[in-house]
Amino acid sequence: MYWERTTPVARSPDMSPAMTVVVLPSVLLKALRTEVGAASWFAALGEPLTDGDRTDAATYADVLDVVPIDSWPEAEAFLKSSLSLSWWEREEEVRRALLARAQDRYPERALWTSLTELTTETGDLVHGKAATSAARAGNAAAASIHVAAGAAAQAVYQLAVARLAGETASLFESKFRLFAAGRWPLGVVDSKLILF
Amino acid sequence: MTDIVIKTVEELKDAPEEYREAVSKLVISHAINELYGAQVFDEPAIAYAPTPYAKWLTCRVAMEEYGHHVRFKQLGVQMGLPEERMIPGAGKKPLSIFEFPLKNWEEFVAIKLLADLAEILQVEDLLHCTFHPLRNLARATMPEERFHAQFGEDFSAELVKTPDGKARLQAAVNEYWPYLPKFFGGSKSKNNEIFRKWKIKQRTNDEMREDFVKRATEVSAKYGLTLPELREAA
Repeated sequence: MYWERTTPVARSPDMSPAMTVVVLPSVLLKALRTEVGAASWFAALGEPLTDGDRTDAATYADVLDVVPIDSWPEAEAFLKSSLSLSWWEREEEVRRALLARAQDRYPERALWTSLTELTTETGDLVHGKAATSAARAGNAAAASIHVAAGAAAQAVYQLAVARLAGETASLFESKFRLFAAGRWPLGVVDSKLILF
Repeated sequence: MTDIVIKTVEELKDAPEEYREAVSKLVISHAINELYGAQVFDEPAIAYAPTPYAKWLTCRVAMEEYGHHVRFKQLGVQMGLPEERMIPGAGKKPLSIFEFPLKNWEEFVAIKLLADLAEILQVEDLLHCTFHPLRNLARATMPEERFHAQFGEDFSAELVKTPDGKARLQAAVNEYWPYLPKFFGGSKSKNNEIFRKWKIKQRTNDEMREDFVKRATEVSAKYGLTLPELREAA
């Protein structure tokens, strides 16, 4: 059962209020699931940056420059030492606002269940992809694979929340594109995006 | 003891009613407690984590805990249990530890160090379960539970490097430790008797609690931490 009659939200113009239907979140997230499955998770870590990477980086983080990171140990050292978390707080602020909008559009249980199932499914996929990338590099700490999987799954969750809120131009779209292109954005320091 | 092995969810339909009820209770309990843990501790901890590394690691832990809930719930649904019985607020009272909202990073590290050890013991006891779908789920869950406990150890090792960090971690241990042995249920639990009768679980609640206290004492000592004396066993 993919449709249910409930609070009027996604209504076509020729429908009367009594005939209003709501598309359940799981249906709307189907396209995202396909994108997640097709993404090149962690496949380009340490590779030279492309113009596309730089464009997505600038759109995502509104930064003037991109600093490439070349190896897993370098990425781990940066993530452990960076106390600059204003970019994280900014994303959290955007996410909370989008989540509030999504909560207005969908029944709580359906929304929550869809997001939980999506992140569970994504978590398993990206964990495997991160492990493959780390094995190829040969110098990654085991815990860093979990960190990478957490970052990637969070990016998918953020994008899912944005799309469920009806937002199609959020910073989470360009963040996801970086991951989909095999990159891992590690954080922002002094108007520079640190990109693995 | 009663010898019975149920290899599939389909076979469960022909199992004795007492067996089916016992398995259902366990699946419901795990589904609810995994969800409570993720909601009350793991997800809020992301905000307290001090670096991007710790934040994303905590994200992964939270997602895995939610994932455990999803997997136990899926098994319950396959068994014919209504989803409503496997989410909080459906009548089953949560463990008392879930009534205390997380206040800081050190509390989360203490919970991973000790509460996830309790979780490991619970899952270990299902590794030889006669209901194989539950046994297999326990086997799939175990590596992730071990990683969560290791997370607790790794960040404990970080915190105890400074006197202030160690004092804050010890304070968190002191606060949460008294609630943890209650995870294992009452000494004269009728449920546990039935679980063991059908070899769904292997050990008494008291045996598990005793093992937990021993292992928790050992792991705490590794980081120079002490456990406050317990006033009551269960």
